[in-house]
Amino acid sequence: METPSPTPPQDNSAGPAAAEQRRGFLAQAISLVLGTVTLLVPAVVGIVSFLNPLRQHGQAGRFMRLTSLDVLPEDGTPRKFPVIADRTDAWNRFPNEPIGAVFLRRVKPDKVEALQVVCPHAGCSIQYEATDDGGKFFCPCHSASFDLSGKRLDETSPSPRDLDTLDVKVESDGEVLVKFQSFETGTAKKVVKA
Amino acid sequence: MKALFRWIEDRSGCSAVLRGCLESPVPGGARWSRVWPCAILFSFCVQAVTGFFLWTFYSPSAQTAWESVYFVQHEVVGGWLLRAVHHYSAQVLLVLIGVYLIQLIVTWRYRAPRELVFWVAVLMGLFTLGLMLTGDLLAWDQNSYAATQVRVSFLTLIPGIGGGLFKLAAGGPAFGHLTLTRFLALHIGLFSAIFAVLLVLHGLLLRRTDAAEAAAGGKAAPFWPQQALRNAVANLAVLVVVLLLALQHGMSGDHAGVALGAPADPDPSSFYAAARPEWAFLGLYEFSNLFPGELKIVPIFLVPGLLVCVVFLMPFIGRSPAGHWFNVGFTAVILIGIVALSFRSLAHDRANKEHQAALAEGHQQAERVRQLARAPSGIPATGALTLLRNDPKTQGPILFKTHCASCHDYLDAEGQGIAAEESSAPNLHAYGSRQWLSGLLDPKRITSPQYFGNTKFRKGDMAAFVRDSLNDLDDEEKTDLQKAIAALSAEARLRSQQEVDAKQSSQIAEGRDMLDDFFGCTGCHRFHDKGQLGSAPDLTGYASGEWLMGIIGNPAHKRFYGDENDRMPAYAEFPDEPAKNQLTEQQLGLLVDWLRGEWYDE
Ligand code: FES
Repeated sequence: METPSPTPPQDNSAGPAAAEQRRGFLAQAISLVLGTVTLLVPAVVGIVSFLNPLRQHGQAGRFMRLTSLDVLPEDGTPRKFPVIADRTDAWNRFPNEPIGAVFLRRVKPDKVEALQVVCPHAGCSIQYEATDDGGKFFCPCHSASFDLSGKRLDETSPSPRDLDTLDVKVESDGEVLVKFQSFETGTAKKVVKA
Repeated sequence: MKALFRWIEDRSGCSAVLRGCLESPVPGGARWSRVWPCAILFSFCVQAVTGFFLWTFYSPSAQTAWESVYFVQHEVVGGWLLRAVHHYSAQVLLVLIGVYLIQLIVTWRYRAPRELVFWVAVLMGLFTLGLMLTGDLLAWDQNSYAATQVRVSFLTLIPGIGGGLFKLAAGGPAFGHLTLTRFLALHIGLFSAIFAVLLVLHGLLLRRTDAAEAAAGGKAAPFWPQQALRNAVANLAVLVVVLLLALQHGMSGDHAGVALGAPADPDPSSFYAAARPEWAFLGLYEFSNLFPGELKIVPIFLVPGLLVCVVFLMPFIGRSPAGHWFNVGFTAVILIGIVALSFRSLAHDRANKEHQAALAEGHQQAERVRQLARAPSGIPATGALTLLRNDPKTQGPILFKTHCASCHDYLDAEGQGIAAEESSAPNLHAYGSRQWLSGLLDPKRITSPQYFGNTKFRKGDMAAFVRDSLNDLDDEEKTDLQKAIAALSAEARLRSQQEVDAKQSSQIAEGRDMLDDFFGCTGCHRFHDKGQLGSAPDLTGYASGEWLMGIIGNPAHKRFYGDENDRMPAYAEFPDEPAKNQLTEQQLGLLVDWLRGEWYDE
């Protein structure tokens, strides 16, 4: 709490009393300012470092080779591929760690679609489920389901948006490259995790 | 002695303060209904004491947090009890504050001049929730990691600043070391300190209002000893409840105290699918599930925020009796709502097969990591997660499901195991064992779906050979076939067959010769120095680790099926360019070890 401050005399007459009151006010103002500044300096120093994470950014999306075309079934059944890359955690760097996964699906003989496995609802990992009418994706956490292109199937889906598609490049030699990115969960808009 | 007390008293005046406290009047006399604040103080002290000792063991980093908690739970004498008392007294603390708040509301003890007493109590409740949320993560096991990540991700729902808030809470763009250091600092530094200040403040305010009430007349009695006695009994009751909760799973064994799940896995594709919030948040959780995904901000922030605002405004709303009845009704509705929703959530999960399966898998992994941590090699510096990631027993089924189970079954005789999406290749359970080979070399079974039935080899030379040459064997031939099978199976050096292999060494030696000259396998297959490569798989070292790595890596290699390969993909076709392979050397090794049943067992 503040230091007890003497209450200024409630005297409005001019003269030495007024001068004393002025001096008293000055002392109060200065001690308040000094107190605040001395407390503020360490606090600001601390808070500036505390805000450091704001300047930290996640992995920028870049094209990575995941597989080759002939591995993907021609009937359009999706296959899951882990994404292996270096991962940084504060002061540590972990080489070649699994950092996520992607479902790849052949939609035309030389065209591939890629979906993030992370459910846009709360971040679970979606699963593929073979069904009579060609299969669907299913989230084990709160039972959201999606068709093979990633569209939501439930009338009211826990997921705020369809599954996140990723950019795919198919090279002439049949290598499949995917621009791997992560997105915020829970938001209706697809926002890249920055 | 007396002189010493005098000396201290002269300089501190503490006995006067103490006497002031003990003699402070309790309006209406000593009552059982007045025990709550003291019980809250007591539970918080239990928290502080047990928390301090837990802190002396705790190491906040992504590679050591779970590990240090594991150490407390399973290695430190009485550590499990320490954790359990800390955990359950937190739950009890929350309940006590809840009951106390309800009591204040129902008995109209939040109105003037007790507004501050009430508000401080509400703040204590909120900070208890904060302490629970921050404390929960520290164990860094699957559930606490996943549930906390979900909660912290809710911050991104806040328009504009959400992303920044997430980073501030997590200490970076993703969960990791700095999330733990931050949560630990918030938990034991900030929130505990604020809670302690609130507690003191609450005591002072309460004393002041009580004194005023007593001074205004009516019956009153000093705190000491009648009320103090009641408080002491209440605290004893609290302690007994905490101990009963802590001991509910027994006093020894892996499950004593509070469960510790498998270590958190930061790989988003291994997100723990059975994650659920702690009981206190289950109602809110279920409530949020009533809303479609786009409107999450309503149940997560707006509604709870509004409710808390109403609670803070209660002293104003409740100035008139009508307002008071509104407050009581409002509290009742919220309480009933929370309880009903919590039960609904539990019922949902109980009926949800996927959830139960995910839960069971989580338990299995927790059990497995305990076994591995207890193995002579212990927990490596890279953390316990490495134990699971390098464990064939854990990773094998996962790899098999993703890469092999589109065609292959892995089912035992009872049909348990992993069923193929569309069974179109041999069942690989117990591959290479005597029993597996007996089926392959059985004219009735080789063309069944268990073996070559759904492959092009159904019409191949091997099937024809088995059908024609191994049909109608007499007893002696049957024994010879057994010997040949033993010889072939011995090539695999399976751990499960170590004993039989040693016992049957002479039969195996005979069988080896028979494979060559009696059954004529080497007409197509190579077997050690007999036969040629190129027309059928090499039987030298058949089903051994090296052999399996080879055939899965590239079945179309001339050592295996060559041009005859059916549809089996090559998983490691480019030994010189590992980046191009579908499976890394390590994954392949895990898969093969699992197929061969080679993993650490207690
Ligand atoms: S995380 Fe997928 S439905 Fe909730």
